[in-house]
Amino acid sequence: MIKQLLAVDGVMAICHFRDDGALVEGYGMPDEMLAGFAKFAHDYKRIVLGNADQLSMFTQMSGWTPPGGWVVEGDGVAVASIGNVACLMNTQEVSKNEVMKELEEASHW
Amino acid sequence: MSDLNKLMSVDGAVGAFKFTSKGELVESKIADGSELNEQILDLLCHVCIANMAIATMQARGWENMTGMKGFYPIKGFTMVGFDWTVIVNGEFGVVVPNSQVDYEAAHTALAG
Amino acid sequence: MNIVSELAAMEGVMAAGEYSYRGDRFTCEGEMTDDMARMASIMCRSTSMAVHMQMDMIKNLGHDCGCIPSRGWIVNGENFSVCVIANHFCFIQNESVSLNAVMSYMRENVPGQEGQLV
Repeated sequence: MIKQLLAVDGVMAICHFRDDGALVEGYGMPDEMLAGFAKFAHDYKRIVLGNADQLSMFTQMSGWTPPGGWVVEGDGVAVASIGNVACLMNTQEVSKNEVMKELEEASHW
Repeated sequence: MSDLNKLMSVDGAVGAFKFTSKGELVESKIADGSELNEQILDLLCHVCIANMAIATMQARGWENMTGMKGFYPIKGFTMVGFDWTVIVNGEFGVVVPNSQVDYEAAHTALAG
Repeated sequence: MNIVSELAAMEGVMAAGEYSYRGDRFTCEGEMTDDMARMASIMCRSTSMAVHMQMDMIKNLGHDCGCIPSRGWIVNGENFSVCVIANHFCFIQNESVSLNAVMSYMRENVPGQEGQLV
């Protein structure tokens, strides 16, 4: 199902990972790289959750946790994730709004 | 101010380095025969800077919530690995084997 | 005495504690309210998880630098420091305690952690 996200302009790779970080399915790069991508996305999700929990704890402001997703922007590429779906994209070619909307939908599949 | 030669004189030191506030490796010294290299030191610098940033957020939050001052500003971070320990303070760091680590001596050397 | 009590009894140690890897329980002894101990365990667990992940990443990037798996960490504040080995934490006063003594005790007595638990 998530394969259709590759049709979005600028999306280079996509993966769906389990709650233990194992790859469920992925497209756009070799299998061993997809496994690493899934592990990275899973680890990063846990870190963001830890930091969001602390933000919530220190500010006493509701609405931060659990976080819905995250985006890390590099010079030419970015990685975005919502739920347990993550994608690698080319920042020059992609519409981030479109990708985030597609990720949001895919995270409910 | 620390310099790398002084840091390399810390007991057991196998590597000493200087890094920017963004975690980029500026200069380093590595003991002969060590398996360390500049790529590893560069990654360790980024790990330490990342955790100093997280610790700074925690220190701010903790002090606001509890009124207990004394953590901010964060001065240093140490990562105890399986065999090696990396200790950073300010813009300098040193790598020592766990078997020879002397945290206090390292901090004294790092504080210059 | 258990590890937490031994640590808490050391001169210059403000508080020592232990949290479950799942994050649902903690114990703490020393000069901390229950709320502070809860916050401390949340903070320490979160940083330990981050450090563990970072070391795994370095390994996955092809550099087995002797840091994997990570055993713990220390953060040095202006007057206080926090020492963590596995799931045990210790808040100390920089001026009144030997960092070496605390860390030696923790490294020798706190059991190693399994990666899957963190």
